Amino acid sequence: MTTIAEQDVALIDLLDRLLGGGVVIFGDITLAVADVDLVYVGLRALISSVATAREQGVLPEMGDAL
Amino acid sequence: MIELYAITDHPGPALPDARVLRVVSRGSLAGVYGDAGDEAITPDALWRHEQIVEELMQERTVLPVRYGTRFADERAAGQVLEERREQFAAALERVRGAVELAVRVIGRADQPKVTGPAQSGTEYLRARLREHASESEAVHVVHEPLSELARDHVLRPVVLADERMRAAYLVEATAVQEFSATVQRLQDAHPPLLITCTGPWPAYSFTQS
Repeated sequence: MTTIAEQDVALIDLLDRLLGGGVVIFGDITLAVADVDLVYVGLRALISSVATAREQGVLPEMGDAL
Repeated sequence: MIELYAITDHPGPALPDARVLRVVSRGSLAGVYGDAGDEAITPDALWRHEQIVEELMQERTVLPVRYGTRFADERAAGQVLEERREQFAAALERVRGAVELAVRVIGRADQPKVTGPAQSGTEYLRARLREHASESEAVHVVHEPLSELARDHVLRPVVLADERMRAAYLVEATAVQEFSATVQRLQDAHPPLLITCTGPWPAYSFTQS
């Protein structure tokens, strides 16, 4: 995997944790609106970086059968 | 306003960045906090927050708090520590000595999507069945061996296109290398899957009972 793709995966895992994990004290989501945009940007980053890594041949070939 | 980063043991070692961080303590629990800023929520800001919690994690057991948790003042934060003392103390024991590792399995990208506008009902059902089978297979070949190396785990619903599995594992700090080596072996054995593993993270996914 390229460094860029690794960073994107790490960002999405970070978003999962900071915004979806941890001790919830108030029971509400303080950053509700901002969350959505951030997560959306992060997910797009991962998809594009995985595609790029595959084109460059640094990811394993994807077989036909899963 | 103050922002709470993590709950930890009291007393504990000196704070890594005493200029920025302070402690509010109640009994055997401490909350580590700093002044709440008004910076925009960017990836950099999130990483800075994460860096603070990870620095705390180097020398103590931490229960990370959901990002954006703010209080009017130290007294308000201390009140929550006191009210939920038993719950937090039990949660700290559950994660003591362990770290969180995030694992994601992504399948090949050229498989037909479930949500195409031109799909018939039959095509939709077939695609959905294929996806379901792929998710079950990923759980079987990836999750089962990894869960044996973990103290606890959480499987989350998949969200990304082509995502087959999203999981978090609570792993003994001493077993991280073995876990990582196992992920690499699984990746080598299953080339049609892309398996990513990040961490060690603070135990964000294991703070609830």
